[in-house]
Formats: sequence, C-alpha cells, structure tokens
Amino acid sequence: MTEFKPTILAFCCNWCSYAGADLAGVSRLQMPPNVHVVRVMCSASVKPEYVMKAISQGIDGVLVLGCHVGDCHYMTGNHRTAKRMPVVQKILKDIGLNEKRVRLDWVSAAEGEKFQKVIVDFVDEVAKLGPNPLKEVRF
Amino acid sequence: MPRIGVFICHCGHNIASTVSVEEVVRFASTLPGVIVADHNLYSCSEEGLDSIRKSIEQNKLDRVVVAACTPRTHEPLFRSVCEQAGVNKYLFEFVNIREHCSWIHAKEPANATEKAKRLVAMGVSKAALLEPQTEGESSVTPTALVIGGGLAGLRATASLVAQGIDTHLVEKESRLGGLLNDISALAPYSEDASTLLKELVDEVKASNKAHIHLNTKLQGVTGFVGNFNVVLNEAGKEKEVRAGAIIVATGARDFIPTGEYGYGSVPGVITQLEFERVLKTGEKPGRVVFIQCVGSRQPGREYCSRICCNTSLKNALKVVEAGGTATIVHRDIMSSGTVWEELYRNASEKGVQFIRYMLSDPPRIHKKATGIAAEVYDEALGERIEVDADRVVLATPLVSRVDSAEVGKLLKVPRDKHGFFLEAHVKLRPVEFATDGVFICGSARWPSSAKETMSQALGAAAKAAIPIKRGKVVIEAITAWVDADKCAACGNCVVSCPYEAIEIVEQDGKRVAKVNETQCKGCGACVAACPNDAMQQRGFTTRQLGAMIDSLVKHALEESP
Amino acid sequence: MREEHGNVGPVMISKGEDPGDVRTDVPYQLITILSNLYPWMTDGKKIAVVTRKCDEKALAEFFKRGYFARDRVIQIGLACNREQIRQCRCSDPVPSVVDIGEPHGGLDTDALSEKLMAMSSEERLRFWEYQFRKCNKCFACTTNCPVCFCDECVLEERTFVPERGVPPGMSFHMIRAYHLSDKCIECGECERSCPAGIPLLTLRKLVARDFKEMYGFSPGDEKTVSPLLTTLEGESLDGDECDEC
Repeated sequence: MTEFKPTILAFCCNWCSYAGADLAGVSRLQMPPNVHVVRVMCSASVKPEYVMKAISQGIDGVLVLGCHVGDCHYMTGNHRTAKRMPVVQKILKDIGLNEKRVRLDWVSAAEGEKFQKVIVDFVDEVAKLGPNPLKEVRF
Repeated sequence: MPRIGVFICHCGHNIASTVSVEEVVRFASTLPGVIVADHNLYSCSEEGLDSIRKSIEQNKLDRVVVAACTPRTHEPLFRSVCEQAGVNKYLFEFVNIREHCSWIHAKEPANATEKAKRLVAMGVSKAALLEPQTEGESSVTPTALVIGGGLAGLRATASLVAQGIDTHLVEKESRLGGLLNDISALAPYSEDASTLLKELVDEVKASNKAHIHLNTKLQGVTGFVGNFNVVLNEAGKEKEVRAGAIIVATGARDFIPTGEYGYGSVPGVITQLEFERVLKTGEKPGRVVFIQCVGSRQPGREYCSRICCNTSLKNALKVVEAGGTATIVHRDIMSSGTVWEELYRNASEKGVQFIRYMLSDPPRIHKKATGIAAEVYDEALGERIEVDADRVVLATPLVSRVDSAEVGKLLKVPRDKHGFFLEAHVKLRPVEFATDGVFICGSARWPSSAKETMSQALGAAAKAAIPIKRGKVVIEAITAWVDADKCAACGNCVVSCPYEAIEIVEQDGKRVAKVNETQCKGCGACVAACPNDAMQQRGFTTRQLGAMIDSLVKHALEESP
Repeated sequence: MREEHGNVGPVMISKGEDPGDVRTDVPYQLITILSNLYPWMTDGKKIAVVTRKCDEKALAEFFKRGYFARDRVIQIGLACNREQIRQCRCSDPVPSVVDIGEPHGGLDTDALSEKLMAMSSEERLRFWEYQFRKCNKCFACTTNCPVCFCDECVLEERTFVPERGVPPGMSFHMIRAYHLSDKCIECGECERSCPAGIPLLTLRKLVARDFKEMYGFSPGDEKTVSPLLTTLEGESLDGDECDEC
C-alpha cells in the first residue's frame, strides 16, 4: 500500500505568509511537496466559498495563512479571517467532515521556519485523517 | 480564446537541478490556451527577457506565464517585458517554482516536478482569465522620516536635505552620532571619527530642511508609501508627523561579553569599543592583546560581524605606532579587498603579531602580579605560549538593538533570526524593504563599516527621494470593483473595508455598493465579506482563483493515479 | 392568509376594506413577500404585516441593513400554535407583542440535531450525503428564505457550484450554511419548501448552535452586529505574538 499523500491548497497573503514561504525557500527549509500556494493580497480576501469549493471537490486540506493579528498590512484584515474560518470549520464538522481539514495560522515575513513547521504539521495531520471522503462523493 | 505563452526558468541549477524543466515545458504545452511553452537558462537575464519578448511578438501572445522565482521580487521585471512587447502588464502571471518548489523539495526531484506542473497548470488557468488594467495614482507627502541619528541616519538626512527634501531625523538618545561618538578613528586610513561626525552634524544642522527630534522614539505608524502618518514620542510628548518615505537607520550595538576571557573580573580586559574610548584619550596603550570573534562565529551567534578584524588591525597599528606592542589572537583574519589587505600587510610589517586559535581551544586569560597573561595554543608552533599584556581587548561583534523588534513591528518590516532587518532582496532591491516606501541602511541591516554605512545611507536616501521627487505613486491595479447586477446593497463590504473606501449609492434606480478607487488599497477584504459574487478584486477575481482551484483538483485528483 | 378555491395564500387588505374570512394558522414567510413588495411601495404609505417571532427577527435583519424604513412597517404580533412550534422545533416562538393567538412556550431540543451530533462523523457525513443527493437545485430554499437578500444567488455562480446539473454537490449546501450562519432566523421555510424533504432547518440549527457558542451571537436582533463584520477588538490577542518580534 502506498502512503497517502494529501493534496493541499494554501492561501498566503502577499505581505506576510507568502513572504514567509519565500524565506523558507531561500533558507532551503525542506518540506513535503503536497502544498500548493495561491497568493492573495490579504487573508481577509479569502472567501470561505473558496475553501468550501475546494473541500467539496475533494481537496484534502486547505490552509489559510495570514499576518499575525496586529501585524496585518491592511490593519484589521486578518481579524475578519480569524472570525470567518472557525465558522467554516464548524460547518465541516456539522456535515460530518473533520474540521482539521481547514487550518488558519499566522506566519510573518520573517518566519520561514514557522512556515516550514506549519506545512510539515498540517501535511502530517491531514495525512493521518486520510483522503477527503468527498473525493468519492462526487455528485 | 486566449493565446498564452509559458516560460519556464532553469534559474541555472536552482530550479533545473531538482525540477525537470523540459518535462514541465512539455506538460505546459498541452494546457488549454497555451500557444507556446519554452524554457530559459535564466529568464531574468537580458537573453532570457529578449527571448520572451520575441516569443510574444512572433506568436502574437496575449497572456504570459513565467514559472521561476517569486513575484515579490521579479514580477515588475517580467511585467515590463510584457509591456515592451505590447501586452498589458496585468496580463502576466507569475508561478513560483523555486522558493515554493525546487528549493524546498530538493531531495524529491520527481515529486517536485509533478508539483511544478500543477503549479504551472494553476497559473495558466488563472492567466487565461486575466484582464488588462490601467493604473491609478496617489499624491505623496514631500517629507522624509529617518529613524536613527547615527552615522547612517545622519548621512541619509544630509543627502535628503541637500536634495531639498524636508526630513525628520529621529534619535532616541539626547545627542546625535550613535556609536560614532565612541570611536577614535576610522579604518583603514585612521581618519579622525569626531571630525567626520562634526562635519555631518554641522551639515545637517545648517539646513533648514532638517527637523531633528532628540530623545524621541517611534510610537506608531499608519499609512503607506507616499502617505505615512507617524506618531513620535518626543521626551514623553506625542507628536504627529507625516512622511512620504521612511528610512530605518537604527544601527546596532556592540556585544557585551558575559564573563568570557575574564571580562568583568580581570582588570584590563575590555571590549574593542571601550578600547576606542581609551585611544580617544591619548593614553599610552602599552602591551595589547586583541582576541577576535568573542561571541561570534560560534553556536547561537554564527555570523561574522565583518568589521572587527579590520578594527583590530587599525587599533593594533595605533598601538605599535604609539610605542606599544600588539598581538592579534584570531581564528582567521577577514580583511579581504585591496585597502584592507594592505592594512593587514602594513600591520604585519610594523610588527603586529598574529596567533591563530581554534574555537575548540580558546585563549585563557590570567591575572598576573603586574598585568595580564594570555595563554594561547599556537597552531603553527604546535605548543602553548604565553603572551604578557597590559590590556586584553575583546573584539566582540555588532548585535541588533533590542528596540529593533519594536521598530520592525511598527513598520511591519521583517528581521532575521539575529534581529537584523531583512531587505526586500539583497541583489535586486538592496536598501529597500518589501514594504513600499520604507528603506534600510547601516548596521541595522548587517554589521557594516563606516564607509559601507555611508554608501548604503546615500543609496537609501536616493531611493527614498524617488517617490517624493516624483510627487506621486502609482497605485497597482488591484483595486476592488462591484458587479452592480449582483449587488444587493447589504453593506457587508462597507463595514469590512479598513479604508472606508466603499459606500452604498443609488445607481439606475437601484441601491448598490460603490468603491472609491483612490482610497482602495487592494486588500480584498470586501470580496470575502460579500455574500454574493458581486465584489471583485482586479487580478484576483473569484473566477480567476476559482479556476486555480479547479485546475488543482483536475491535475492532482483527477489525472493522477 | 385567505382560503380561495381550496388553496391558502397571502392576501393584501387595503385600509377600510373588510378583511372577511382570514386565517392566521398557515406558516408562511410574509417577510419574503414583503421584501418583494417593498420596492413597489413608492407612495410612501405604511404597511402592516402579521409577524410571528421569526418574522420579527427577519424584519430586524432587514431594518439593520437599511432595506426597509422602520416607520413604514407595522407589526401585528402573532403567537404560533403548538403544531407550528412542533414543526419548527422552535425554541423562541413568542413575538414581543402578541396581538393574535395564544402564546405557547418553545421547545428546547431538536431531536434530529441531537441524533446527528451523537453520530460518528462518518455516519453524519453519510446522512447528509444521502440528503444532499436528493437536492435537485430548485432554489426553493433560497427563493423562500426571508433573509436571502440577493437577487442573483451566488450559488448560481459556476465558480462555486459546478454547472454539472443535479445534484449540485456539497459546496451548494456548505456555502449556503455559511451565508446563513450570521443571519438565519430559523423560520424553517427552507425545510418546508424543499420538495426533496431535506431537513435543512436541522442544518441551520446545528450551525446556529456553533455560531452562538463561538461568538455569543444569534441573528434577529436589530441592535447587534454580526461578529463576521467586526474586528477582534475588545477580545484578547494574547498568545499571538510573533516569535521573531
């Protein structure tokens, strides 16, 4: 049996987490190749609809990464993200999916190592959850 | 149907040694809308750019995708190539397969190649939906703010005021000059440091454009390039200033040993900066032993502080010239470059002794009846020798200032793990931060010599002057807009906008949201707040991002076994 | 409501007109009808509407967004009967002013909600999968929902709901659950109007419970703002210091 390799979508804000991901790259920090980063300007622009779309189409996990609260390039953008994503997680739970398939975290432009840690942890966690059951529920 | 060109960069070995570029090119050529897929050894080289330009023209491309490094540094370059070839720069999409792929999956070439393919597919699917845009402009406050009144800050301020720019110079201490106040002479030519300092301070003070704030700290910063609102705390009193650009010149401090080599317990064991003060007094230095790399190039503080070898060479020469003796106990002498190597040779010829030690067997310092003894294992002789001294000078590295953390946080600019500030890109955007309108110079960035500090300060001042002299900054066309047909005027966007850029208006008999584009900063918060699909951000529309998700689903889940 | 030719439908009565034989026992979202009517009420006249507690909450959501002028809508409070309360598993059935009907207390629990949350997540997913498979994307749930304010629905946008026909896929129901999380007044209209019999009200109730637990917020109060539209201000930001700074 081959080891399950989850497919993960990550939204990174241009100012902090995308820069943090770049720093992780520049620092050659190694991590599993399952995460696909989509650059957005602010985590607050990540429509929960994207997350639900991805999950309902079978993506195994979705990461939303923003600046630390208090450090948002747009002042309070990440406050909204911090409010919205837990609702998405609860809806996942309510329909019978594991809410851990969606994770919100904060990575600053200087935190290449934290980016690596978040990726390694999340990939590991989603791998443990197994494939997204909705992959088979394609109706 | 769009005509998309995909260009995959080898980045020398940086990408190509992990990702099979040829395979990605083959894959890209099969993607819908792709007219041509090609690869370049270095897409950002003149040759690479030229081939992209030619390909756009020959193949009549109307969308361009480059898969290479990060858009945070190279996007403007490739956008300008598109423009030169007659393609609107917003029809360009960047795919990051270096920082986000080859560099972080170095040991998994096959998986990295598959991931690179998926990332390219996602980029192409977004590119197909890109639309041309026109950019807006915003005005600039014609004032600069320099944080730090040491050599870097003074030099930058002098340059800015000489260009006729009103400049606020903020210094937390009660006097200008920073570390330079304590230094006797500057390597390699031993110019008098106080003369340089006086000249600079006089130059700044003579200008009516310079506004000096002593005993002042940075308290708050809001705004963006062209229009920063800065709150200063001037001796306990709050003061607000506005600035178009900000230069960080907060410098560094010398590392104070924590008991190493008898520091604090053996009289006569002092730091290099303390020795500078001794030299300033004109006191006879006597027999001096310099110990290099005290607190640097070791676990926990791995970096080389770069300036300490040259400082020791300069001071050792002074000791010898004053009739004393000088021994430099070092791990390697770092004095590369023409003038510095000459300084080293000169010191050597004038009788300065050099003894090499190893990190595993550092020198030991003993107190003697008269003076101090330094016991060193001499690698060349293969034996332990003792050097008598009146003074032992510890060459400690420059370390970041504690308050650099606060400055970094207020300005939202990054620092490395040692607390030094990080530039946007060491080669492509030196002395600039990734945050537009904020610049960096001097030892706050990395331990720098006086000469380097001044060069950087001039560079930072020149760059800070660009938006101020232009009088306007171009607003990237990533602002929001409303699809009035879909808008139900629920007002979620109005509440969510951090810049109060959206209002509900009556339009053709219907209440709809309207975005004021000069106020919009392109964060997209309104997009996610909109319960419908009415609010859109240029370059990040829901269709574009949705297409990326669809593409990932298609290539990762449907087409893989 | 008035019965005509065996059908019960809403009826509009003008000032001075004899109301005749009207009924108040049929669950019907009059606010949905009012919201369709309101744009045509250009004469500035007032309208009275029979409001149960859920209608009252729906009105609050409309007033909050400035859709209706408060002084043009007069509420006639209607207390729901036991059968209505049972059907909606309604916990809060008594309007602030009761003009018609006998007030009855609400129900504390929704049996299906309890049953679902007692299930394993696999079972719960199987349950909803079975239910959502029945969905034929008729949009009755959104059309009849009093607090779905949009004219054109985001669920008709192919970015979010694939245009593959029916059933529409999970995202349809997940996105709708999210959109209603801060405004659903639990009137149960979606469930009643669903021709496939999907227990949509139960899903609303599950999300509402989570939302209330997280943010202490329930929709339907004109004075409160949805937490999705506020910042974290006033809430502790402790424990979120960047390691580097």
